[in-house]
Amino acid sequence: MKRNGMAIGTALCFLLPNFLGFLVFTLGPVAFSLAASFTNWNLMKTVPLRWVGLDNFAKLLTEDDFWLYSINTAYLMMGIPISIAASLFLAVLLSQKLRGMVVYRTLFYLPSFTAGVAMLILWKALYNPDFGPVNVAIETVLKWIGASSVEAPTWLSSTKNMLALGAEKVRIVSAQFGLGARDAIIIMGIWTAAGGGNMLLYLAGISNIPEELYEAASIDGAGKWSLFRHVTWPQLAPTTFFIVIMSFIGGLQGGFEQARVMTMGGPAGTTTTLSYYIYTKAFEEFQIGYASAVAWVLFLVIFAVTLFNWRFGSQYVNE
Amino acid sequence: MKYVFMTAFAVMGALSVVAWLWTPGRTDDGRREIVWVSDDNPMRRQQVDLFNELHPQYRLKLDPQNGGMEKIIVQCLAGVGPDVFDCYSGFQLAAFVRSGIALDCTEEFAARGVDVGSIWPCLTPLTVHEGRAYGFPDNAHAPALWFNKRLFDEAGEAYPTSDWTWQECIEIAARMTLKDERGRPVQFGLMMGLDDWLDVLVAQWGGSVYVPEGTRSALDSPEAAEAMQFYRDLIYKYEVIPSPTQENAMASAGGWGTGTIALFGAGKAAMAIGGRWWLCLLRNPDFADLKLGAVELPAGPSRRVFGGGRSTLINARGNNVEGALKFMEYLHGAEFNNLINRQADALAPVRKYNYSEEFLLNPEHPEEDYNTVWRTAMEKATPREVTPYVQGQTVARILLKQADLLRADLKTGAEAMRDAARNINEAIVEQLGVDPELRERYEAAVANGAPKAWDNEDDAP
Repeated sequence: MKRNGMAIGTALCFLLPNFLGFLVFTLGPVAFSLAASFTNWNLMKTVPLRWVGLDNFAKLLTEDDFWLYSINTAYLMMGIPISIAASLFLAVLLSQKLRGMVVYRTLFYLPSFTAGVAMLILWKALYNPDFGPVNVAIETVLKWIGASSVEAPTWLSSTKNMLALGAEKVRIVSAQFGLGARDAIIIMGIWTAAGGGNMLLYLAGISNIPEELYEAASIDGAGKWSLFRHVTWPQLAPTTFFIVIMSFIGGLQGGFEQARVMTMGGPAGTTTTLSYYIYTKAFEEFQIGYASAVAWVLFLVIFAVTLFNWRFGSQYVNE
Repeated sequence: MKYVFMTAFAVMGALSVVAWLWTPGRTDDGRREIVWVSDDNPMRRQQVDLFNELHPQYRLKLDPQNGGMEKIIVQCLAGVGPDVFDCYSGFQLAAFVRSGIALDCTEEFAARGVDVGSIWPCLTPLTVHEGRAYGFPDNAHAPALWFNKRLFDEAGEAYPTSDWTWQECIEIAARMTLKDERGRPVQFGLMMGLDDWLDVLVAQWGGSVYVPEGTRSALDSPEAAEAMQFYRDLIYKYEVIPSPTQENAMASAGGWGTGTIALFGAGKAAMAIGGRWWLCLLRNPDFADLKLGAVELPAGPSRRVFGGGRSTLINARGNNVEGALKFMEYLHGAEFNNLINRQADALAPVRKYNYSEEFLLNPEHPEEDYNTVWRTAMEKATPREVTPYVQGQTVARILLKQADLLRADLKTGAEAMRDAARNINEAIVEQLGVDPELRERYEAAVANGAPKAWDNEDDAP
């Protein structure tokens, strides 16, 4: 009994540093921000700290900006299914037994270990409306098909978007239809994510699929598409499920670096996402209490979306 | 096992003592360090070196990485802020004071002979808040118009003179705008960003951002609408200044002094609204071919111009207040002020140093025969508008959004200004709702006849 107690004590001592770190740097701030979200905490010392109950939450739900930035966040997440499909496609390609495959895999993974800010600045140059390679390519194609009167998108300086969302209010404005800053960020996101961690997860998943399944299916006369459709895809369901959940979480939290480096949240706030909004409210306008409330609402949305995914996605995985 | 833990704790304790002994503040040679958060202007190093030479007991160190009001406030409140830091507007000064990080230097300045009355009047909002002095300016700046003499000579165009109007400016700018075979401008007649000059344009058209008491935004006036419509017309009707897309197309990666200055220096524009401080970059050998001229801003319905600059404040929670005060004495002194004028880092903040022969004609740069223009612009400049009733960052966000919509041709000048005024007034109401001290002052102002920020009593805070 005494030896058991000693062992537990030793184990707790080993766990203590990690637990203390978690307590001080994670759990503590999380609890603190929850408390802050019910106050009017402002870094201006002339604003007395006051308990405001649910006022911050009520205010943000009636604020145009919160809804606009929520929609911006959701809009940027439209690239998630495409990037997951692209990751799967690349993983299938890179799982072929070819010479020099390690080099190909490294090349496709390159965006993931390139410094984020450097990459964003590079993309900013790519999107240059006059001499950026993206528009040069588009203009060449337009000329080739005899549509040179059609203007190429102005990307990062445009408020246009594929859903024709208005720039100031949550509404559809037909003149806003087109490609703009939000679409530029989506395309860049797909490029970054396609060869990233998701591709590695799929590669690992594919390598774990028993060879016998392919052999049996081949004997039954399955072609390449059937092999993918009836063997690879179902076997990768747990991996896809994990990737979908993580991508949704990442998407809801995302957009900060892009907004900060490429657009400063503009033009006219069209690339401001909830995470960038939290930053501007807390550290530019010093409304820590309100920013905490936005952060908690974002957490609740992430939690709800994850639960939804779990509820319906896990059924599919277990089929 | 217990010995392992005891040893680990002992080692961590010893390392903590070592870290404490190494706390920055005193350098190896016994000189006390002063950390100055400022921008990365290439001239700043020379200003730092001069201070260190004049005050060998201190070592002034520049920290260009931690600029930005939000970073400074958060760092100072957390006890890890710099000793001195820069402030660019009256709004920022109010925020620094209200967050409790700016040291009130009024008595210290009086004892040390640092006279805030000696500076250009338009710098007062950057240094004095509600009658108390919190810092001293580093330079002074009022806008005027640069023009590229070489481009004017090539086009056979006469140089502008300071008594001109915006109409004359547009006509010249139109002639100086060159386009390629596809109709895309390769040289603009004029460059001016709305972010810096929105309030100046509004003022030139006889409008203002706030009513005089600051209790309500006045941007919904016909004058402000007309001024913004004029700006929009410069882009879309006269096509003499770049649209956001064209600006984007010409933009570089960024950094101090890049963007408009570099584009003007590279001959992409014939004229540009800017400041004398542009010379910090334009004196660079890269721009050796540039032949510069300067004239006062064209006149709109009025000739009103705002001036400003940069001031340095002391961190009230800093470790080296005495050193920081010595730095303030330095900013007030002849050595620093004359250095600013020689470097052309705008104009010296203390007025009297701008009235010397050396200022008018720098022997190292005899081609710079336009210094009177910058001094005259300063003489005519009035302080930028400030109101205590709303945070500057909030106003900046609102104006940026409306300016974006205007520049993208999604709104008329009247629509943009009407919405900007409405949003600023809403922000005032919100601020009054959380700040009882401010509300008390506001109510007193309203009782004295100042207009309220709300039209219906249901919208009152």
